[in-house]
Amino acid sequence: MRDWLVGVMPSLRLRLVIVFALVALSAAVAASGIAYWLTRDAVLTRAQTAALDDFRKTLGDHAGTLPPRPTCEQLQDAAVAMSRSTQNYEVLLIDRQRDGQRCAVTSSGAFSLDDVPPKLQRAVGERRKSSGEGKGAAYHLYWQRVAQGDTPYLLSGATVIGDGPTGYMRKSLEPERDDLTSLAWSLAIATGLALIGSVLLAQAAASTVLRPVQRLGEAARRLGEGKLDTRLKVSGTDELADLSRTFNATAAALEERVADLSAREQASRRFVADMSHELRTPLTAISAVTEVLEDEQENLDPMIEPAVQLVISETRRLNDLVENLMEVTRFDAGTARLVLDNVDVADQVTACIDARAWLDAVELDAERGIIARLDPRRLDVILANLIGNALKHGGSPVRVSVRTEECPEAHAETAEPGTGKLVIEVSDNGPGIPEEVLPHVFDRFYKASASRPRSEGSGLGLSIALENAHIHGGEITARNSPEGGAVFTLELPQDPSRLAAAADEEGDDR
Amino acid sequence: MARVPFLLLIEDDDAVRTALEMGLTRQGHRVVTAASGEDGLKLLREQRPDLIVLDVMLPGIDGFEVCRRIRRTDQLPIILLTARSDDIDVVVGLESGADDYVVKPVQGRVLDARIRAVMRRGEREANDSAAFGSLVIDRSAMTVTKNGEDLQLTPTELRLLLELSRRPGQALSRQQLLRLVWEHDYLGDSRLVDACVQRLRAKVEDVPSSPTLIRTVRGVGYRLDAPS
Repeated sequence: MRDWLVGVMPSLRLRLVIVFALVALSAAVAASGIAYWLTRDAVLTRAQTAALDDFRKTLGDHAGTLPPRPTCEQLQDAAVAMSRSTQNYEVLLIDRQRDGQRCAVTSSGAFSLDDVPPKLQRAVGERRKSSGEGKGAAYHLYWQRVAQGDTPYLLSGATVIGDGPTGYMRKSLEPERDDLTSLAWSLAIATGLALIGSVLLAQAAASTVLRPVQRLGEAARRLGEGKLDTRLKVSGTDELADLSRTFNATAAALEERVADLSAREQASRRFVADMSHELRTPLTAISAVTEVLEDEQENLDPMIEPAVQLVISETRRLNDLVENLMEVTRFDAGTARLVLDNVDVADQVTACIDARAWLDAVELDAERGIIARLDPRRLDVILANLIGNALKHGGSPVRVSVRTEECPEAHAETAEPGTGKLVIEVSDNGPGIPEEVLPHVFDRFYKASASRPRSEGSGLGLSIALENAHIHGGEITARNSPEGGAVFTLELPQDPSRLAAAADEEGDDR
Repeated sequence: MARVPFLLLIEDDDAVRTALEMGLTRQGHRVVTAASGEDGLKLLREQRPDLIVLDVMLPGIDGFEVCRRIRRTDQLPIILLTARSDDIDVVVGLESGADDYVVKPVQGRVLDARIRAVMRRGEREANDSAAFGSLVIDRSAMTVTKNGEDLQLTPTELRLLLELSRRPGQALSRQQLLRLVWEHDYLGDSRLVDACVQRLRAKVEDVPSSPTLIRTVRGVGYRLDAPS
């Protein structure tokens, strides 16, 4: 599960969540912004219009009732009366008195001319060319929104035409501001909710997409492991279902192709196996007759004697080749079995060398008494091929040494004698093996060089030797010795019984 | 033993039969041939050969079946000629009662050597006898009796019993037995020994599945014990 998270989160899921969140955020912010701006405009305009209309009316009413050059007291009364309107604003009235003194009065002490920005004062004081038309032209009403302290105000002023007083009003816009603030909060909360909702949606979408993707990945991995019968369950008609169908079709095609190829390979192996079988019967007849010819060789006409000699030697070659082919097909088909027996390795090596009349050409360094459990026939095949190869390509003397090594990682629970490794080294005095040939010496039908004269070998010998070592759970390695000459090292477990428990079917009496 | 060995060769392939007959005759054997198992069994009854060389792949009844039918009445040596050295063939052949086997394409000399080795197993030797419980081995008469009854042993089985009885209580490895009994000089197939021991146990032991005479020595081979 942790692996799954680590694997998925930083990729598709995270990307989906981020994209969804961004989309939701920008949509919500845009919608809220527009709504806020429009609402703010509407609220302020309405409050402002109501206040200005009211101020205009009361200023007109009260200015009309005031005598020209009113006293400060009269102005004060008028200002207080004006401020009693429903719009709840403060009023500042300024007029020139009879003595020419300016008198400024306010409906409340908190509002003075200092609170009016000079720009507004100038605009209000400026005499305009009167158009003389209609009621609207009676006043020049100017307004401005200002913030004093942290309270927003609507300031407005006008001079009454005909040397009337100049009136200012100040209305607090705090209720409107509070309304707008709470609106902004609501919009922000709505945006937040939209964001959370979008993240949840993104998670859900990611899951619906990623679960099939994960299943697909799992199936692809299994397919890669060679389980070619892996198929996905297809449900729905979306792109992922389509992908699953494509996957299934691909897997089916692959399975068919592999089956076809392996059938062909099996057929060709079977053909080789059958052919070697079929070759054996005529070869048996030929071999038997060849021996008769061989016995009669000295009585033959000298003219045909070389021909007979050639038939004899080539028949022997053919025999070896078919024998080796049989051996190879048995390994390929997996029908090769070990027939294990406890043998004295030195005796086996000696017997192998002796049987092929190699005693003069081989130096044996082996102590008697090294007992190993192995298939004597297969050991003989390995040794015959290694020593024969060394004699053919390296020249005598060939040195064969036998020793045992304890396995360093010997299993503690089976720490009995015989858990070690049997090491047989075959080294020659020849020119060694060219570096580029070294990796191929165990390949089938690989000849060390095209220019090398045709050797008597079948080209299968070392490959068969290696297969025989493998079936014992052993290994053969080839290298060049620093002193010159090739060294083949055969390593076999001293007791491969575990590999071939079935091969060891001897009666077991207690 | 100046007698010329008289062989019956049962082989269906004309060329192989002719060639082997030619080769074996030149090696100094007297050979009669049969092309099928049925003919071979008939010739066996009529001519009483000393040894049978038997091909496994025969039309009609196969070599294994021929081998089993011969063993019901006769203990004469049988050498199997197998075109397949597949293990199952060898195992089945040995279980059917064959004494030895050679793999095609066979070298005439190898076949000759095997024939002579098998023939030697029936030779008489020093006249003494040994008793192991109820089993009595008479080396001069080359007979084995159990509870006074004659046992029908093939020459190979008899030779194996003789070699084991010559060294009572001493374990002999399969390779040693192969050299002593089969005269395979090296790399003999140890299954020959195992199969022959099984057949021998079936004849000499009271309960073949829990032998008291021919004991397996794990990791070594076999040993003949006098029951205590």
